[in-house]
Amino acid sequence: MAQEASSSTSSKTISLKTGDGEIFEIEASAAKQMKTVQRLIDDLGDDITIPLHNVFSKELPKIIEYYKKDITGEITKDFEAEFVKDLNDDEVKVLFLAANYLDANKLFEFLSQNIADRLESKSVEYVRKYFGVENDFTPEEESKLREERAWSFRGIKEDE
Amino acid sequence: MEKMTPLYLPIELITQILLRLPVKSLICFKSVCKTWFTLISNPNFANSHFKFSESTQTLRILSISAIPTQIRSVDFEVLFNNHSNSLNPNLSLPQSYFPLQIKGSCRGFIFFNCSSNNYIWNPSTGFCKSLPLSPIGSNFGTYSYLYGFGYDHSRDDYLLASLYPALAADVSSHLEIFSLRDNAWKEIEDTPFPYWSPYHYPKLGLLFNEALHWFVSRSSSLVDVIVSFNLMERKLLEIPIPSDFGDYLLDIGSWVFGEFLSLWAMRNRIVEIWVMKEYKVHSSWIKNIVLSIDTLPTKCFFPIYSTKSDDVIGTDDGSGLVKYNNKGHLLEYRTYCDDPRGSQVVMYTESLLSLPGDHEQV
Repeated sequence: MAQEASSSTSSKTISLKTGDGEIFEIEASAAKQMKTVQRLIDDLGDDITIPLHNVFSKELPKIIEYYKKDITGEITKDFEAEFVKDLNDDEVKVLFLAANYLDANKLFEFLSQNIADRLESKSVEYVRKYFGVENDFTPEEESKLREERAWSFRGIKEDE
Repeated sequence: MEKMTPLYLPIELITQILLRLPVKSLICFKSVCKTWFTLISNPNFANSHFKFSESTQTLRILSISAIPTQIRSVDFEVLFNNHSNSLNPNLSLPQSYFPLQIKGSCRGFIFFNCSSNNYIWNPSTGFCKSLPLSPIGSNFGTYSYLYGFGYDHSRDDYLLASLYPALAADVSSHLEIFSLRDNAWKEIEDTPFPYWSPYHYPKLGLLFNEALHWFVSRSSSLVDVIVSFNLMERKLLEIPIPSDFGDYLLDIGSWVFGEFLSLWAMRNRIVEIWVMKEYKVHSSWIKNIVLSIDTLPTKCFFPIYSTKSDDVIGTDDGSGLVKYNNKGHLLEYRTYCDDPRGSQVVMYTESLLSLPGDHEQV
């Protein structure tokens, strides 16, 4: 393979293949922001379709949309608010996991904060369901905990 | 099934989310499960969380009113942006700790005194510990001495400072430090303190640039100065006040305005705010804002907090918080406390921190 000069990345696109077999294009400069993708490119070369086993066709376009904005320096608070506006809590969780897998730091941090904001005044029961966590406290232990920290439970939204 | 969304997130990922939650939610989520309880109670997590939120957290005020005893934690931003604000007391402390006098706050801990006993309390975690009394302090009687509460990051240690001025020519001054890590009082020898503090000068030291600062008067000349005590070097240093600061002041105080050490002086229904643009440099004092407090019902205003846009927020010595912009215009007034006589007020942040050497968690 001929060595490409590094300055050619401006118009170069990389092909990404999701776990469910769909192919998406992304600019090389955007791919650089996802360290996992960049590592695969370094190993496999940038002319090969990069396989992403753990990311699927539902999430990848959204991630690509984010980084398209990032490389033009256009990510603003308004853009980020709009980006997550129509996503439900589970969809955000899936994106968050994908960003983690792709080692896409900026998106990962943004989504961590967004999930934290969503969970801030949710109930303990909701949080358990959201993370798939089992309650291993006995009823007595749990009511004692709640009693001691009653002030932190005020203002909690009931399970949605 | 083409894809499996994992039902759970590994704890490292959950931690990334938890670090971004406010203290109140974290205290609540300790009840999620035992793993979360252990994680959130872990002092390392508390330290990481504190560092993480240091730059983003709004400061709050803690207001403690006397009759009936009520404790409120008020978030400045919420108070001024929310037109329907609940004034309900939202924190508690056992009745046996009242009446109390707040003596300082640092990194989420409140230092208070009740019946001559000193306590360190974290209102967010509920942790409260009594501290040994100082031998000097118990002999000093009821004369009000100077005190302060701070943190020495080189040792991860919380410190209390007490300064006892020389009451008469033949009585020496004393300076002592209590280290929480050592759990002991230690007198700082060979450090004369030739200052006195008139009755109406604030006794609580201002923590700024890792030093405690008090507004005092030189005993020999009665010239007002700021004296600072560096918590790591354990040295006293004089900082001159602005030349035109003036006399015959009704009330004075020091606070932190943005990134700067600031003095305020109240006289004739005006509050002047001075800012030291370059720390310790006398010529860098500038009179930054002049506010009229004529329209305030209490005719009092003590600045305590500045917002990112340089608005000045303070108490009116009653039950209100008042906001002025940096041109001195009154922007807003909000009641934060039910008791019109007001309450003791101190600024603080929420933290999950525990004291060094302390393994007992609430």
